Amino acid sequence: MGLHAQKRFRRIVSYGILVFWSFILLFPMYWVVITSFKNPIDMSIRATYLPFIDFQPGLHAWRYLFVDRLTWFLDPFMNSVAVAFVSSAIALVIGSSAGYALARFDYGGRNNSIVLGFMSQRMFPGALFILAFLVMFRELKLLDTRTALIIVYSSGAIPFIVWVMRDFFEGLPVEIEESAMIDGANRLGVLFRIAMPLAAPGLVAVFVLSLIGAWNEYLVALTLTFRESITIPLFMTMQVSQTGYTEWWNMSAISLVSVIPVVVAGMALEKYITGGLTFGALKG
Amino acid sequence: MATETRNAPPRPFVAGFPKRSRFEIRDNIWKWIFLLPAVAIIVVLLAIPVLWTLYAAFTDLHLFRIGVDTKFVGLANFEKLLANRSFWRTARNTVVFMLGVVPTQLIIGLVIALALNNITRGQKLFRTWFLMPLMVSPVVVSFIVGRMLFQEDIGPINEILRGLGFEGIPWLTSPTWAMIALMVIDVWQWSSFMILMLLAALQGVPPDLHEAARVDGANQLQAFWRITVPLIMPITMTALLIRIIDAFKVVDIIMVLTGGGPGQATESVTLAIYRTGVKGGDLAFGSSQAYFLLLVLLIFGGAYLVLTRRAMGKE
Repeated sequence: MGLHAQKRFRRIVSYGILVFWSFILLFPMYWVVITSFKNPIDMSIRATYLPFIDFQPGLHAWRYLFVDRLTWFLDPFMNSVAVAFVSSAIALVIGSSAGYALARFDYGGRNNSIVLGFMSQRMFPGALFILAFLVMFRELKLLDTRTALIIVYSSGAIPFIVWVMRDFFEGLPVEIEESAMIDGANRLGVLFRIAMPLAAPGLVAVFVLSLIGAWNEYLVALTLTFRESITIPLFMTMQVSQTGYTEWWNMSAISLVSVIPVVVAGMALEKYITGGLTFGALKG
Repeated sequence: MATETRNAPPRPFVAGFPKRSRFEIRDNIWKWIFLLPAVAIIVVLLAIPVLWTLYAAFTDLHLFRIGVDTKFVGLANFEKLLANRSFWRTARNTVVFMLGVVPTQLIIGLVIALALNNITRGQKLFRTWFLMPLMVSPVVVSFIVGRMLFQEDIGPINEILRGLGFEGIPWLTSPTWAMIALMVIDVWQWSSFMILMLLAALQGVPPDLHEAARVDGANQLQAFWRITVPLIMPITMTALLIRIIDAFKVVDIIMVLTGGGPGQATESVTLAIYRTGVKGGDLAFGSSQAYFLLLVLLIFGGAYLVLTRRAMGKE
């Protein structure tokens, strides 16, 4: 085999592998989509795979979700939206200011240790926090409130944001900020008018990543909320245990509503998100 | 993981304007205004829980009688822990889970990343699609998808197996298969992380190095082992450590897919802590379990870093 033929062969094998794995990733998602259009009968006797061919798709799960039971579903959905956006926004402002400070100022030569201190949070298992949080928020009378989740989620996202944004700000040229300050701007103006706009790709990445983290979080939500402030993941598991795992079409529709926004956001911002995800490790 | 920065070269500090004291005075205020909120939040929400849990582990604190003569019990909780067979069962489950998923993810990650690195057309499309599982909530993956796909009577996986002439697999009723089902879910979701990390590593390998080795007579496999592997090793080790730690902390997919069952066959340490401390209210015993997990993570992570650094230093 010549070198050229060999290269071609390798490329064909590569595409084969990639298509195969894409299919593995696709199949469960496909299953949720078709299940949300199934009628109870299509799931009671045997598995059905192809809409219109071996089952007749119907909209009753979607009607149930958006017409019959909209309010029932809207509360947890809005909880998730509020908690995810507010906690990520707080974390973004506080975390990126600290990241900027650690990139531009000297803290007695201890900047690296401070960043390391922030990141040590990732080493601690979540199980170590839930017991203390339970007692803490019970004493503060904040159990089953959005506030409790917002506090926990923003504190969870800050270390990662500090870490990524510090490196990002260090990569920005300092001269622009310098000349702005000579023109009379103060640090706050420099941070918000110059540094942050220049760091927009990094900010978008960490914001979306902490949004997704808060949106999908389960253990803390399970510990701290139970009725008024439950988020989507908790709502789903509560429904399924109440209905005895049977109403798959409704659950599939809810899953899709909860999954599609974050998946679309993540994939649309692929370049930034991948950067944010792999960033820390790549600095090695 | 916090440890990556340890080896980073010391960074030059771009401290505002060293010679212009007019700015410096004002900067001295800003530098604290920018940093302190983050520090305060982390101290309150990291240090206090960590210290409080340590305190709780040495008491007989119970959720339903907080403030009512809490006694120090010394190491009693830890003695109870070491003698507790059900806790060791969960520890074993957690290790088995980790050993099942992490190597599989490494292999899948490497194969897919190499394939991705081999192509140019469509690479971005595949990369974007491979990001998808990381965005999906573990609850959705394990509850909706896992429960439906692994359904024993009419789930598609068993139907397909039967169609091929095999027996249906008792996914959720057999202890072994329930563990495998959980591993499949974790591999489905987290292989993408390995793929993206390893792809980034592979893209850092200069292609001419490979070409040069080939010209010197090395075959494909030799070039891979001698050039590619050493160069991607540091990132691979970091990615592995991140996945190992995450696998040790596994809880949500178990809660939703099997609830730890059948029996206790798939209960992880974190699930045990939740059950003891939050559900059962035994904060003291739960805290001692949490500290046990932390200790294992610290010892393991430390040993891992020392060993991999040493191994890579020798190469």
